[in-house]
Amino acid sequence: MQLKEAEGLYHPYEVFVQYDHLAHHQHVGSVLAASPDIALQLARENFLRRDKAVNIWVVRKDHIHATPYDVPEFFANEFDKDYRRVDGYADNARRWKAFKQKALHIEDIVNDLEKGG
Amino acid sequence: MDSERLHEQFMERIRRGEKIEATDWMPDDYRKLLLKFIQMHGVSEIMGAFPEKEWVPKAPTLRRKLGIMSKVQDEMGHGQLLLRVAEELGAPLGVTREQLITDIFTGRTKFHNVFHMASPTWADAGVIGWLVDGAAIVSQAALLDTSYAPYARVLKRICAEESFHMQHGESIILSLAEGTQAQRQMLQDALNRWWDSLIFFFGPPEISESARRMMEYRIREKTNEELRQKFLSRYVPRIRSLGLTVPDPNLHFDESTGKWVYTQPDWEKFGRMVRDNTGPKSQERIALRRQAHEGQAWVREAMTRSTAVPVGV
Ligand SMILES: [Fe+2]
Ligand SMILES: [Fe+2]
Repeated sequence: MQLKEAEGLYHPYEVFVQYDHLAHHQHVGSVLAASPDIALQLARENFLRRDKAVNIWVVRKDHIHATPYDVPEFFANEFDKDYRRVDGYADNARRWKAFKQKALHIEDIVNDLEKGG
Repeated sequence: MDSERLHEQFMERIRRGEKIEATDWMPDDYRKLLLKFIQMHGVSEIMGAFPEKEWVPKAPTLRRKLGIMSKVQDEMGHGQLLLRVAEELGAPLGVTREQLITDIFTGRTKFHNVFHMASPTWADAGVIGWLVDGAAIVSQAALLDTSYAPYARVLKRICAEESFHMQHGESIILSLAEGTQAQRQMLQDALNRWWDSLIFFFGPPEISESARRMMEYRIREKTNEELRQKFLSRYVPRIRSLGLTVPDPNLHFDESTGKWVYTQPDWEKFGRMVRDNTGPKSQERIALRRQAHEGQAWVREAMTRSTAVPVGV
C-alpha cells in the first residue's frame, strides 16, 4: 500500500504508561497506528522494551482536548502563593524550637505507621 | 468460572499484596464495603470544609484569610477526587454522583463526628487545622497501601496536600501559644472543646465486623486503636510542650504496656450524633450543603447544553 493510500487510515495515538499500581498513568510519547489494538502493541514495543509496567492507555490524538501554548494568562498566578505551600510556613521549625519541639512533617507520620504496632 | 472460585482467586491476590483496579473482578462485598468507606471519606472532606469556611471572612489577617481559604479549597478538592473513585466503584450498582451527594441530606451516608461540632473562636480554627487534620493525616497515611489501587493513588495526592495543612494548622496555634494570656487561654479552651471529639474520631477500640472484613481485604491494615495510639504518641508531647493541659486527668503513657491510657469518650452520645445528625452544627451544615446542591442545579443543567469554548477566549 502506498503511504498516500494509508492517509486517513492511520492515526497518531498518544501513549500513557502506568508503571505500577500506585502510580498514575504518565504520558511518554505517541505512535502511529491503524487501530487502537495495534497502537497498544506498538506502544509496548516502543516504550517498554526495558521498563516494567502494569498498564498502557492509548488515546487518539484528535480525541485530546488541550490548552493552547499562547495563553500564559491561563496558568498565571496573580501573586505569590507561598501561603498555600509548606515553604510558606518554614518558620514553624524555629517557633517549635522555642517550645523545645522539632518541626513535624508528614513523612514522620508515614514512618510512624510503617513502624507497625 | 463459579463465583466461589473467583472469590478464592481474589483473596489469593489480596494475600499476595496485589492491588485491585476498577476493571478487575471483585466480590460484591469488597465493592460495597469500599464504596461506603470512600463515600464517607469523600463526604467528610466536603462537610469538613464547613467549620473552617466559617472562619474565612473572620480570619485575623489577610495572610490568614488566604491560608485558610486555600485549605478549604483543598478539602473540597479532596472530596471531588474521592467521590470520583466512589462513583466508578458504585457504577455497576447503579450509584451516581447525584446520589453520593444527596445521601448526605437523607442521612444515608455519615460524616465524621468532628465536623458536626461548632468552631466558635479563631483558636478552634487553629485546633481543627492542627489536631483534626493531624488525626485525619494519621488515618489517611495508614491507607496509602490500601488494596484498592485507584483509592491509593488519590490518597497519595491528598497526603501531599495535607503536608501543607499540617504546617498551616501549626502556624495558627503557634501564634496563639506565643501570644498574650488571653490568646493562650483561648487556645486552651478550644483544646478542651475538641479533645473528646478527637479521641472519638478514630472510632471504638473494639474491632467491628465490617472493620474486620476490611482488614481481611487489606482495604485498611491498622485498627482504630492502633491509629489513636499513634496519634497520641505524636501529638500529646507537642500539646504539652506548649504549656497546654490535655483535659483528661487519666491520660498517661503506661510504660509496662507501651500504650496510652485515656478516659473513654461518651461513645453512645457521639455515635448517636453521627448516626442521627444531631450534633450542635449537623443540621445547619447539612442545610447549607443542600442549599448549595439545589441552588446550583441549574448550573449543572446548563453545562450539559454548553458548546465547547476554547481556553483563553
Ligand atoms: Fe483533606
Ligand atoms: Fe486537611
